[in-house]
Amino acid sequence: MATKTVTLEIKRQASPDSPAVWEKFELEWRPGMNVISAMMEIAANPVTVDGRETTPISYDSNCLEEICGSCAMRINGKARMACSALVDNLEQPIKVEPLSKFPLVRDLQVDRSVLFENLKAVQAWVPIDGTYDLGPGPRVFPAQQEVSYPLSNCISCTCCMEVCPQFNEATGFVGAATIAQVKLFNNHPTGRVLAEERLRALAGDGGVQECGFAQNCVEVCPKQIPLTDAISDISRDVLFQKAKDLIRS
Amino acid sequence: MATANHPAAPKLSTGVQPLRAAKGSSFLWRKLHSLLGIIPIGAFLVEHLLSNFEALKGPAAYAAQVKFLNSLPLVRVLEWTFIFLPIAYHAIYGLYIWFRGKSNIVYYPWAGNWMYLAQRWTGLVAFLYIGYHVATQRFLGVSLPENPGASFHKVQAELSNPVILAFYVIAMIAICWHFAYGIWLFAAKWGITPGVKSRKRFGYLCAAFGLALAIMGLAGIWAFVSPQYKNAPENVQVTTLVEPGR
Ligand code: SF4
Ligand code: SF4
Ligand code: FES
Repeated sequence: MATKTVTLEIKRQASPDSPAVWEKFELEWRPGMNVISAMMEIAANPVTVDGRETTPISYDSNCLEEICGSCAMRINGKARMACSALVDNLEQPIKVEPLSKFPLVRDLQVDRSVLFENLKAVQAWVPIDGTYDLGPGPRVFPAQQEVSYPLSNCISCTCCMEVCPQFNEATGFVGAATIAQVKLFNNHPTGRVLAEERLRALAGDGGVQECGFAQNCVEVCPKQIPLTDAISDISRDVLFQKAKDLIRS
Repeated sequence: MATANHPAAPKLSTGVQPLRAAKGSSFLWRKLHSLLGIIPIGAFLVEHLLSNFEALKGPAAYAAQVKFLNSLPLVRVLEWTFIFLPIAYHAIYGLYIWFRGKSNIVYYPWAGNWMYLAQRWTGLVAFLYIGYHVATQRFLGVSLPENPGASFHKVQAELSNPVILAFYVIAMIAICWHFAYGIWLFAAKWGITPGVKSRKRFGYLCAAFGLALAIMGLAGIWAFVSPQYKNAPENVQVTTLVEPGR
């Protein structure tokens, strides 16, 4: 039997409090296989390499084309999107673990609500709700579009936070994604109305100042968002905002 | 009520907490740490290494330089407000920053991540060294502000111990590294170099500057151990304030 096989070692944990165990699976190789499709096959026949029956693996995924941001996990130690992690490009056995900086739900599923909370804390939106028609928005010039478009590509995967040495329970750092979204919405002609509030928010504890400029975020971002550029720009804006507030208070 | 806490989406009872929007004062303390590293600490470092350069001209010139610096108006006040206190704050807050970061170089061995780690270790070396150096050269033994003539010999005596000499050399390199990368970090984090290219170019500039500073610093050390001024007199007469040449 000379069929090519794929070996995966997956860290499992039935609940947040139960102990973590590693399970090994061997699958028949298929062209174009990725980590999510491999786990789908495991779900169809959840038997470990030593013939023991187990449960299907729990994980988040949706789009399967690296656009929804839900399938971030650590693959061979590095945070990345599982659906675009092609088996052919990975060293075997492929070690799959949940993200380490977020509360575990089950197996590879983690609770990433902190990013959602952070986006709310900086009001990462364009406020257009009102009781009457506000009319068409102002024009966004192409030069501005070119700056904004890459930032708008964020898929909220939290990879940039997972790999950041400053993002941890001691600092409560907000993380690169939220800072980049502040830049996006502060540059939007209508979103700008909240610019000052966003900058003040980011000067709070856990704000932009906690960044140590290790630049891991920009290395890992699956959407190649210019995160360090955004951090630099927003740091300056926050500083100016604080200085203005100081002399005007 | 019962639906408030769906088990799949629990509240943030654990894990990293969200941003404390617009709350607290860590922004100010962190920026102060950053600024002090450049001014006055970095500026003082450059001054110090330039002064050390005088040692290459011999004990008399070095003594004159020490005397000149100690004749500055309010020199003791300047010393505390622009040197000791800023360094103490920068060091202690720096350690606090270090302890709260979690390096992950094992999984992500990238250049920026290495530099992040190096900035912490070089900072520690600098802290230990400066503590030692200030204690032995400024506060223990012959008091140099009163006896500038004894300065060359005092340094030379200390550097005659090879272990201490090695400590000085390592610390010199670590400090120049820390300062050079610190300038680069300052520019990046204060929004002076917000572009990838500008950071890269400025990186070369900082590297060249750091290298030049380290070479200058090591040359200063060399003056005390070179055969030229071996066994310098314990005290030299400091006649003029500034001694051009010899
Ligand atoms: S540059 Fe800042 S946000 Fe990005 S990984 Fe480093 S410390 Fe974290
Ligand atoms: S900035 Fe990049 S790494 Fe961070 S959440 Fe958005 S897409 Fe993911
Ligand atoms: S499943 Fe949507 S990004 Fe991977």
